[in-house]
Amino acid sequence: MKVTFPHMGQAYLAIKGLLDDLGIEVIVPPTITERTLEIGTKLSPEMACLPLKINIGNYIESIEKGADTIIITGSCGPCRFGYYGVVQKEILKDLGYDVDIIIFDPPNSDYRAFIERIRKLAGKNSWASIARAFRRASIIVEEADEMLDIALKKRAREVSRGDTDSRLYRFEREVMGKHGSYEILETIRKYKGILNQIEEKTGVSPLKIGLVGEIYTLIEPYVNLNIEKKLGYLGVEVYRSLTLNEWVKVHLSLDVKHKMRHKRILKKAAPYLNLCVGGHAWQTIANSVYYSECGLDGIIQIMPFGCMPEIVAESILPKVYQDYGTPIMTLVVDEMTGEAGYFTRLEAFVDLLEQKRRSKIDEYKEGLFRG
Amino acid sequence: MRIGIPRALLYYNYYPLWYSFFKELGHQVVISSTTSKAVLDSGVTSCVDDACLPIKLFHGHVANLIGKVDAIFIPRLVSIYPDEYICPKFIGLPEMIKSSIKGLPHLIVLNCNAHRNLKDVHRGYMELGKMIGARYSQAARALQKAMANQHDYDLLLKEGQTPIDILNDDKPIEEVEAKGVIGLIGHPYLLYDEFISMRLIAKLRARGYAVLVPENIAQSQIEEVCAQLPKKLFWSYGKKLLGSGLAMLKGKKVDGIIFLSSFGCGIDAFIVELLQRYNHRLYRIPSALITVDEHSGEAGFNTRLEAFIDMIEWRNRREGYISAYGTSVFGH
Repeated sequence: MKVTFPHMGQAYLAIKGLLDDLGIEVIVPPTITERTLEIGTKLSPEMACLPLKINIGNYIESIEKGADTIIITGSCGPCRFGYYGVVQKEILKDLGYDVDIIIFDPPNSDYRAFIERIRKLAGKNSWASIARAFRRASIIVEEADEMLDIALKKRAREVSRGDTDSRLYRFEREVMGKHGSYEILETIRKYKGILNQIEEKTGVSPLKIGLVGEIYTLIEPYVNLNIEKKLGYLGVEVYRSLTLNEWVKVHLSLDVKHKMRHKRILKKAAPYLNLCVGGHAWQTIANSVYYSECGLDGIIQIMPFGCMPEIVAESILPKVYQDYGTPIMTLVVDEMTGEAGYFTRLEAFVDLLEQKRRSKIDEYKEGLFRG
Repeated sequence: MRIGIPRALLYYNYYPLWYSFFKELGHQVVISSTTSKAVLDSGVTSCVDDACLPIKLFHGHVANLIGKVDAIFIPRLVSIYPDEYICPKFIGLPEMIKSSIKGLPHLIVLNCNAHRNLKDVHRGYMELGKMIGARYSQAARALQKAMANQHDYDLLLKEGQTPIDILNDDKPIEEVEAKGVIGLIGHPYLLYDEFISMRLIAKLRARGYAVLVPENIAQSQIEEVCAQLPKKLFWSYGKKLLGSGLAMLKGKKVDGIIFLSSFGCGIDAFIVELLQRYNHRLYRIPSALITVDEHSGEAGFNTRLEAFIDMIEWRNRREGYISAYGTSVFGH
């Protein structure tokens, strides 16, 4: 059995570590490129959302490398993600690929099916070693996100541009050769140290922008056209509302403290939207309110074209802006998104925020002058 | 009180229920005018660009009611059946309306959420009744009567009429006298809105074809075919469309099948894909997908419809024509 999975930002580190530990041969799909997207777009339904198309591209590129089993997670609606597995299975079947797809749905009532699927994947491993492997995978997720958070801070403040990204690039090269969660974790820790040593400019206070929106678009840099990097180079410190770590902690772990915090933030959305509409629309609203309260300079919402839950959030966000006055911009990405136009919009938004900040400082000084 | 019901989204399915519920409680009911270019345009301008056509249209119908009524009725249909949903946009509909349209009168929102338990729907209606000043007993009685009306309506649909026939008093063509039967798969708010569907049903009938719509298929048949799917389909209307489509194909009830979808419909993207793939693999009945949006022109629509009907007729005429070499000229 050669197992593969779709890409989603740093998730490959944890999944590779997990499967390595369980002794399963794993094929990490090649990094997402234009070719991946092209394959996906050609073979997927036209109106499907972007993540599905990229997933299909990932599968086919992995199958070309020899994979015969695909593992994905599922959900139970109302977002389309819940039915990805079935549609993708049919697409691959009609194309004549003989692959097995194992879908891990959240075990709402059917624990037996869930356990059977884990058994099918894990083979002869004992439950204790499976549990240990999952535990270590969750640590990888946590530390990898911490590493990215360091990078986000450093990028806005680095002395010579590109310092952070050259180190992250070296990390990606190095980690591909590692086997098992211990080695992967070691590499992550090593690079956390290396990233921390990057020289910082002194006396700068970068603009702060919070990213909200659909989780896959936020986490996968190819899909959001490296928004974190682009903003970082414009001298902006980026805050991410949804990370893999956050997702794992809310959905899979038993961390009560974190869940309480999650609930507390969700409550902030109550005046605008007080129920789950699927996907992460509720979180989008709640985090926008939270970021506005925290005093961030601006908020950017990113979503794939046609994302049903985020459209609901998009139409409510103007109300949040009216109440709090923090500028919010919505970016919609799909397979036709051009990089130049996208970058221009980011630049314009950052310019606007800078001006806003400057006029605020001027007002303050004027106030001082007048006494 | 004058209560306005927008003539959009699930109006075509629940009209008798909502109408008689408000009527029984002694309120006057005003329906927004039929869809026109003006109604659609006002929806398009007030709604976010990324929303789908039906949602934009709903915005238009709400705007159409402003000034005519004291309150507008907005259904929030989270779920109409346990463990199922309708669409994320239906869940956030009241919030979308509130933040997009200015100068709204009082909104009365029905919270219909059967996700945990079918009985929760009853509570939703009781709360709705309370909101418009009815006592619990009054509301319960009104709901009972309204449900009876709705039941009669559903029975008529199952007999083979379409909601348009019932609402407009049209006469459907009997299957016996028709040239053939065409299955129409599409959400009720597209198929039965005569502006959006460009009178698709009437046009097919004018060509001598009877139509079969998802509302005509019995729920038990839908459940039966959908039980064979690899995973439970969690969209009620997605399930209805896919299930009725498969039931039509399986029972060989139709000569052709037309999907009417709106641009940007997330559920249709998956449902139509699955239905087309299953059809291609197992049944091979002629099918066409027509996608409409706010820019659709009628001429192109008609051309596609004519081409589709021509194709069915040629196929019927010549399918038995086997060439001397032993294979059909059509390659199957």
